[in-house]
Amino acid sequence: MKIYLLSESPSGYGLFEGHGSDEIGQNTEAVRSSVSDLTRFGRVVQLTAFHPFQSALDALNQINAVSEGYMSDELRSFLELNLPKVKEGKKPKFSLGVSEPKIGSCIFEATKIPCQSNEFVHELLRGVRQHFDRFIKDLKPGDLEKAQLGLAHSYSRAKVKFNVNRVDNMVIQAIFMLDTLDKDINSFAMRVREWYSWHFPELVKIVNDNYLYAKVSKIIVDKSKLSEEHIPMLTEALSDEDKAREVVEAGKASMGQDLSPVDLINVQTFAQRVMDLADYRKKLYDYLVTKMSDIAPNLAALIGEMVGARLISHAGSLTNLAKCPSSTLQILGAEKALFRALKTRGNTPKYGLIFHSSFIGRASAKNKGRIARFLANKCSIASRIDCFADNSTTAFGEKLREQVEERLDFYDKGVAPRKNVDVMKEVLENLEKKDEGEKTVNASEKKKKRKTEEKEEEKEEEKSKKKKKKSKAVEREELTATDNGHSKKKKKTKSQDDE
Amino acid sequence: MKPPQRGRGGGVRGGRGLARGGEGSAVRGSGRGGESGRGRGPGRVKSESDGGIKGGSKVLVTPHRHAGVFVAKSKSDALVTKNLVPGEIIYNEKRIFVQNEDRSTVEYRVWNPHRSKLADAITTGVDNIWIKPGVKVLYLGASSGYTVSHVSDIVGPEGCVYAVEHSDICGKVLMNMAEKRTNVIPIIEDARHPAKYRMLVGMVDIIFSDVNHPEQAKILSLNASYFLKSGGHFMISIKANSIDSTIAAETVYQMEVEKLQMEELRPTEILHLDSGEEKHACVFGGYRLPRK
Repeated sequence: MKIYLLSESPSGYGLFEGHGSDEIGQNTEAVRSSVSDLTRFGRVVQLTAFHPFQSALDALNQINAVSEGYMSDELRSFLELNLPKVKEGKKPKFSLGVSEPKIGSCIFEATKIPCQSNEFVHELLRGVRQHFDRFIKDLKPGDLEKAQLGLAHSYSRAKVKFNVNRVDNMVIQAIFMLDTLDKDINSFAMRVREWYSWHFPELVKIVNDNYLYAKVSKIIVDKSKLSEEHIPMLTEALSDEDKAREVVEAGKASMGQDLSPVDLINVQTFAQRVMDLADYRKKLYDYLVTKMSDIAPNLAALIGEMVGARLISHAGSLTNLAKCPSSTLQILGAEKALFRALKTRGNTPKYGLIFHSSFIGRASAKNKGRIARFLANKCSIASRIDCFADNSTTAFGEKLREQVEERLDFYDKGVAPRKNVDVMKEVLENLEKKDEGEKTVNASEKKKKRKTEEKEEEKEEEKSKKKKKKSKAVEREELTATDNGHSKKKKKTKSQDDE
Repeated sequence: MKPPQRGRGGGVRGGRGLARGGEGSAVRGSGRGGESGRGRGPGRVKSESDGGIKGGSKVLVTPHRHAGVFVAKSKSDALVTKNLVPGEIIYNEKRIFVQNEDRSTVEYRVWNPHRSKLADAITTGVDNIWIKPGVKVLYLGASSGYTVSHVSDIVGPEGCVYAVEHSDICGKVLMNMAEKRTNVIPIIEDARHPAKYRMLVGMVDIIFSDVNHPEQAKILSLNASYFLKSGGHFMISIKANSIDSTIAAETVYQMEVEKLQMEELRPTEILHLDSGEEKHACVFGGYRLPRK
């Protein structure tokens, strides 16, 4: 009775034939002793066929099938090709050894190849696994490990639902790029102005904007050739006919020196470069906006893309931002002032990067600190939703923004804001209505919503407790900055203890 | 008692820039030093994420009895491993830089026994951990990869660590870590069914199990029958409360050892780790050891 062995590896499927099975019989002990020695084992088991996987995607499909215990089409064709044919009605004279019975029964149902997966097969497969790379001649040492690494990564990514679009690294890089670009464009633009002013000094005073200056200098080129014909083009660039006329007039009476054609060409190319960079900056900004709406839509809806991206890049990643307490989020970016204040026992800063969102500017001086704290709390909620929720929607972010607006109104006029519990309920109801309207409700989605509801309810309880404390503080009107500093210190030590 | 710590000194300056995400690290250095400039006051919190080693003081690094592990001696000793990926830290651990004769710096990462059971076992004085440069390790219950990273440091680029972890959230952190370290192979799968990931693992020399599951003996033996070579070794960490919280800890350990012995996993050492709050034991042993 011949026994074949199916061995699945990350590089491909291998089929082995167990020879000395008649001598060994079905004795596991004997197999074990033979496994340790390659030459002995080589006589027991020999390679029949090896089918390498065509691509990484192919390998991923195969491992998904194998781990579930199903037989994929590729496996089926491999087996049918390399095993002796099973004749109808006759009992086959061989059997296929597999690692587990589930895949064995699948194979048997489809192809009538009898499978077994007992201890004897198990021992043989151990030997195959141990000496696998020696059997397959094509595999160089180290190939198998690399294949394992690559396949494991793609398999695990599929398991954790790694979504390439939701990688926050791009936002961090984009924000750095934007800052660098701004600096560079500015220095280049200043250079263009200085350079061209050698030729046409009056233009600097007429055209103030850097980008427009570069454009205009490209149109004019040589001021001696400036005439009435250029006015329409200049008007188009400057969008102001009076200014265009001014430029032409100034050109006629200009004090600047003449430049040779070669010099003028140089200035032209440089001006073109500046314009290209400025256009690229615009595109990069749009890219950043789209990326932010992909990875952190709620944060972007609440405080805007730029501030949100800066927060994420300062914290290191979206997960880090979500992990840190809201008091940290409040003073992210003002670390120097914070530690100086802590060391000298002064007043700690009230806001860091958060300051650049529009809300802080709109609050009166007395309420800036309170709004900063409130905003930081809401930003924390938004970033946590963005980081850990499965589906991305801006519903929460918009409602949180409304809440901040309401609080601003409260400080201005005394209009009582809605309770957080009610607002969150509204959001969840809206989300459910939207889903029902689209008729895409299925059981798992409902469960997810219940889970997020439970999560939100837990957060709501915490937030409603904090809100009660806040409203008490407002009535007192004695909350000074040092008080804020002290409570921040307490919160900080708490977070240290937690860590 | 450990002496009061100085705030972040020379060697570890790099850490602050990199470990931005853990705001706590920057805070920890100076936040508590509010009283007197750079000094730390008395009364430190017990759970530090470093091993009690200072940053800028003179440190002497010597190899430990176990190959691949080192000891950093200064006013207080710490267990360290050589960083496989210089410049990267996993969990805000402290790093120690040592200058060689040829002016190159070697980077070591501090290994915290409070965080990692293997480090705890080493500091308690285990005879042989079996993990050394060049071996292949199957690590069940990898979690976020703290201990896995140190094991990967020890086995070096020649060896490899197959890290199995079931949870998604820890899995993501593990995968991020594995992207930087090429000798860690992340497998996000249930360790109770080794058949599911049999395509990804070769034969290993050592299995390390830290799953804390009532059936962990069975899990270990099943994985060993698939992947552990004959004559290989294993280490399993047993938390008495995870198996059965009603009976005494020693009884639990005895039960687990008996279960292992039935599956050809012969224990050679049992260590009791009582440094934390929970009662743990670490069992080291061999698989299908040849009978003398």
